Amino acid sequence: MPIKIPKDREVPFGAITPAPVKQQELFITSNWRIVRPVIDHEKCTRCFTCYIACPDSCWSFNDKEEKMEWNWKFCKGCQICIHECPADALSAAPELDFEDGVVRLEKPF
Amino acid sequence: MGKVTEITVWTRGVIMDKEARDVANAFAQAAKMEGKFVQSFDNYEDLPDRVLVTTRKYARISDEEIEMKYLYTNAHPDVVVIVEPTIVKGINVLKGMPEGGILIINTNRPIDYMLKFIPNADLLGAIATVDADGISGVKTVDFSGSEGGVDTAGIGAGIAAPILGAMARVTGLAKKENLAKIVSDVAALERGYNEVKLQKFRKARYEFGQGA
Repeated sequence: MPIKIPKDREVPFGAITPAPVKQQELFITSNWRIVRPVIDHEKCTRCFTCYIACPDSCWSFNDKEEKMEWNWKFCKGCQICIHECPADALSAAPELDFEDGVVRLEKPF
Repeated sequence: MGKVTEITVWTRGVIMDKEARDVANAFAQAAKMEGKFVQSFDNYEDLPDRVLVTTRKYARISDEEIEMKYLYTNAHPDVVVIVEPTIVKGINVLKGMPEGGILIINTNRPIDYMLKFIPNADLLGAIATVDADGISGVKTVDFSGSEGGVDTAGIGAGIAAPILGAMARVTGLAKKENLAKIVSDVAALERGYNEVKLQKFRKARYEFGQGA
């Protein structure tokens, strides 16, 4: 449900974001990535270390499917989650190996 | 005013900032040594002091005096250089390019694979790739950033040198001999000049010398 904010209390776009882990249009930094984290759901123990370690809250838990979900639009490819993962479920893969995840902005963010 | 050739260099903030600055500055300087009129700029419009952010460097080369004094960004780049290949996925790099422009990418992937990520490639006169990372072996020379950084590493020490060699060959706007006087890694410049892979298209323009 959208929150009704009085006119005098409005803030610029991006000042407050519904973090963690909501994908938002216009709030795209995925073109910062050189590598992306790829998760192996078999190895993942659902310990939430990636969720805690990610500076931008790009990992979330999908309750229905019981697995971690990655916010590809906001992840900047800092690889902290890959280094922190105790189960070695995450690995870095070059972004150019994938044909998805194309945003093609008109100017830099 | 004569024809001004605009060169835009796309790079990533901080980690490849110096390399791209070297590309724009050294190429303009080499063209200047041939008596051309040049301008080169760094860090306008974008916010480059964030690691990995996409950012631009600009250079302009003309046979006559350039009168675009107060415009820093290139609205219609004839040559686009991409220092880090993943940028093609995130940015419309050919924005504003007139037909028959040249795209130079630093990558070891095949040209056909890179073209998959460029939907408006029909604008291009030629596309070239050079494996500068492989040739120089260093991605980041140093972090001497944009704000008052002191260039102790020398111009064109890392990946900038092979990219400059490729630019010299493909565009023909500056001579390799002049670039060799500027860059510190002359061997990498030579290898970039020799190892660049070029694919020409129907719209290739005659003014870009032997390349396109």
